Amino acid sequence: MALLEIEDLQVRYRTGAGEARAVDGVSCAIETGMCLGLVGESGCGKSTVAKAVLGILPPAGRVAGGAIRYEGRDLVGMTPRELRRIRWQHIALVPQSAMNGLDPVYTVERQLAEAITAHRSMPAAQRRHRIAELFALVGLEAGRVRDYPHQFSGGMRQRAMIAMAMVLDPPLIVADEPTTGLDVLMQDQILQQIRLLHERLGKAMLLITHDMAVVAENCDRIAVMYAGRIMEYGGEAVFRTPYHPYTLGLCNAFPDMADRGRALISIPGTPPDLVSPPDGCRFHARCPFATALCATMEPPLVEVAAGHVVACHYIEQADGFRARAADPATWQERVPS
Amino acid sequence: MQGLRVILRYPSGTAGLIVVGVFAVLAVVGPLIAPHGPFEVVYRADHSVLRLAQPTGQAWFGTTNQGMDVFSQLLWGTRVALIVGLLSAIGSVILGTVVGLVAGYFGGWIDEVLMRLTDVAFGIPFLPFAMVVISITRPSLGLVILLVVFFLWRTTARVIRAQVLSLRARPFIWAARAAGAGDLRILVRHITPNVLPLSFLYAAIGVQAGVMLEAALSFLGYGDPNAMSWGTMLNAAFQAGAMRTAWWWVLPPGIALSLFVIAIFMIARAYEELLNPRLRVI
Amino acid sequence: MAAVLRRVLLLALTVWCILSIMFVLFKLLPGDPATIFVDNNMPMEMIEHQRQLWGLNDPWWVQYLRYIVNMALFRFGDSFFQNQTVADILAEKVANTCAMIVPALLVSVVFGTILGALAGWKRGSRFEQATVTTSLLLHSAPSFFMGILVLMVFSYQLRWLPPGGMVSLGGPEGFWAMIASRDYLKHLILPGLVLVSREITGPILLVRSSMLEVKGSDFIDILRAKGLTERRILVHATRNALLPLVTYIAVMTGLLLQGQVLLEIIFAWPGIGRELVTALGDLDYPVAQAALYVMALVILLLNLLADVLYGLIDPRSR
Repeated sequence: MALLEIEDLQVRYRTGAGEARAVDGVSCAIETGMCLGLVGESGCGKSTVAKAVLGILPPAGRVAGGAIRYEGRDLVGMTPRELRRIRWQHIALVPQSAMNGLDPVYTVERQLAEAITAHRSMPAAQRRHRIAELFALVGLEAGRVRDYPHQFSGGMRQRAMIAMAMVLDPPLIVADEPTTGLDVLMQDQILQQIRLLHERLGKAMLLITHDMAVVAENCDRIAVMYAGRIMEYGGEAVFRTPYHPYTLGLCNAFPDMADRGRALISIPGTPPDLVSPPDGCRFHARCPFATALCATMEPPLVEVAAGHVVACHYIEQADGFRARAADPATWQERVPS
Repeated sequence: MQGLRVILRYPSGTAGLIVVGVFAVLAVVGPLIAPHGPFEVVYRADHSVLRLAQPTGQAWFGTTNQGMDVFSQLLWGTRVALIVGLLSAIGSVILGTVVGLVAGYFGGWIDEVLMRLTDVAFGIPFLPFAMVVISITRPSLGLVILLVVFFLWRTTARVIRAQVLSLRARPFIWAARAAGAGDLRILVRHITPNVLPLSFLYAAIGVQAGVMLEAALSFLGYGDPNAMSWGTMLNAAFQAGAMRTAWWWVLPPGIALSLFVIAIFMIARAYEELLNPRLRVI
Repeated sequence: MAAVLRRVLLLALTVWCILSIMFVLFKLLPGDPATIFVDNNMPMEMIEHQRQLWGLNDPWWVQYLRYIVNMALFRFGDSFFQNQTVADILAEKVANTCAMIVPALLVSVVFGTILGALAGWKRGSRFEQATVTTSLLLHSAPSFFMGILVLMVFSYQLRWLPPGGMVSLGGPEGFWAMIASRDYLKHLILPGLVLVSREITGPILLVRSSMLEVKGSDFIDILRAKGLTERRILVHATRNALLPLVTYIAVMTGLLLQGQVLLEIIFAWPGIGRELVTALGDLDYPVAQAALYVMALVILLLNLLADVLYGLIDPRSR
């Protein structure tokens, strides 16, 4: 049994224009100690998956269908009381670093301690010891536990958030774009911290990012999301031998460690409107290889290798796509027909 | 005009506009249709004074202890309320906006001096201060309006200054300056249009505060003895112990005052939500 | 620390300005002590003597300096008519005013905060709608008419509550004995109700809107993800939403003091506002100017307090 299993998840948002299907039938799973990377452009619904897992969807959002099973128990139907017991003890969150995840009017120490006292009774001395231990683990000075969040730099705040996520030693950590908004050096350090949690401490992890390179370096399994759906899902093969044109586009858009000379190419266009998603493949309007079929029929997820599924009509042409995708001309904006 | 349409989108704003509209009409035509003058004594057929009469056909809202017609007084009072409200709003907003613009735009010692002046103004308790000033001179409507202006400009000045400070840092102001616009031009052409909506808001609040303060001063007996305002009526009723004996004398001016003040507030509120959508209830 | 010092210096400057304005005003008031106590039959020498006694023959700047120093040191002199020092009179009246304001303020702030926090937390609910609408109405209604109205209904019509005063005639003597009596509570209900009905609206509207802002903050999501109970999260949110309230309370108390004159007249409450009205009517200038000065000073001190307190409770401003 997987530690976390998401099955056919549907999340809808009420908007002025109608209901937006932010997540529309996403399935994936995380085994104990494994890292699943969820990649996609901003607005593709990947953060919504994280929020649904933690049960912190904004008031306008709701889980409209599917299941999120943690150790076999569905989180969606749980009472607030049951859910509270899972939260942070079993699933903790490292939020987007651009988020003000810390309450500005309490000291960092108090906020870490609060996570402990909400779930366990632990003597104050032991609590302090635990917090000091975590500060050391994430590389924060022990003397600064009594500081207020605003006295920390952005990177320090993010370290504090990692320490807070670890405070109850949960088996699963959700990291939602943990490095956006930080400068490049700091991004690297935070990523190292995250890797340490996963590799050294054996935490299972749901790592959400738009950066293919980050996924490639950290994750055992990768799910590529576009417009609320999974386009490609599998192991390392997803970025080594991608099948889906969208995955190809994402890989192009980030620098490759092995091939520094390669030009970066971005995917033209913007993701579709989720209130009334397009017919057929959701990516067809931006796909350089799309045909008439793509605009009318939605491709099912097809297994191309063991544990590697792709939602594209033309998986047998993937070799050709890969070759053509490396050519920037392929991705030139097409004249709309 | 666009502001008006927005106000009409709120039921409370619409209701406020209607109520204020009715009062405005009454202020204009009221004294023409009033059966009696504000200080005129009403007599019975037998030439005796009609004192403390209950509302009847002869005196719709009854009479006071001196035999004056409450309904007529109410109509005259509406005119006084509107005059005081409008003039004190206009005066205070002009003064406050100019001070705020100058302080915010020029900054430095000018700002320092003007802001310390507003601090002083904020330290002065209005009613007691106004009572002392009125004791020195003879009470008159003009003086009351002047005092209300001196009380109200300070808030407008502070708010406008803050707005100017934030406007001054915006790129379009740098752009104007880079394009060679002088201080005066920037102030008049670029900053003033952007603070005017706030000024209008404070004008609405000024009408409300002006009417309320005039009523309060008159109630305390410091109003213009020659102008029959709602506050003056309440003062006379209170002095005569009408709360015990003549409800028809107390309620009309009190209700008129409350209605008017609440109506203006609702308009201001609807307009404020336009300026600051965060306040919205839904 | 330097900032606080700057604030105190500015406060002194403001007080000086206000005192100067008051000096001019009270110089201009009709009649001076000499003419008030002197009748026309008095020989010139006696009038002269009176003028000497009150220092009215000194150059204006000597009188001005003496005035500023006396006021700054709270040497208010004696009342013209009451056989008491002004300081004694005012001390008693200020205490009486506090006896009305303090309970009303406490109730307003505590319940206003709770109602405002709940309204903001339950955004869009019927409870929020009702609370906000009622608050807006009460906030804009003229409270002195409300005072008259409750007097008409509860004292004169229903005869449930006394129509004015702080205690009944022949009631307990001495301030604390009064405060401890049930009689005082009965007298407090009506003016207290009117005060609360207006003052409570400020905290409600303010806390509600800052609550709405806090509610959208990211850290609230984290608190929920941490598995805290809704009540704990509400405590966090309220604690953040309270920051602007501290400043507001001081400002609100200042405004309340200005309207206090009206309520004290309506409810015949022997406080400082009523004393000012009486003193002005009696031409008892030492009492009037000291009362005005004390009110202004309290308002200024409250504003200073607001600034300092804000610095203390918001860690970001430290």
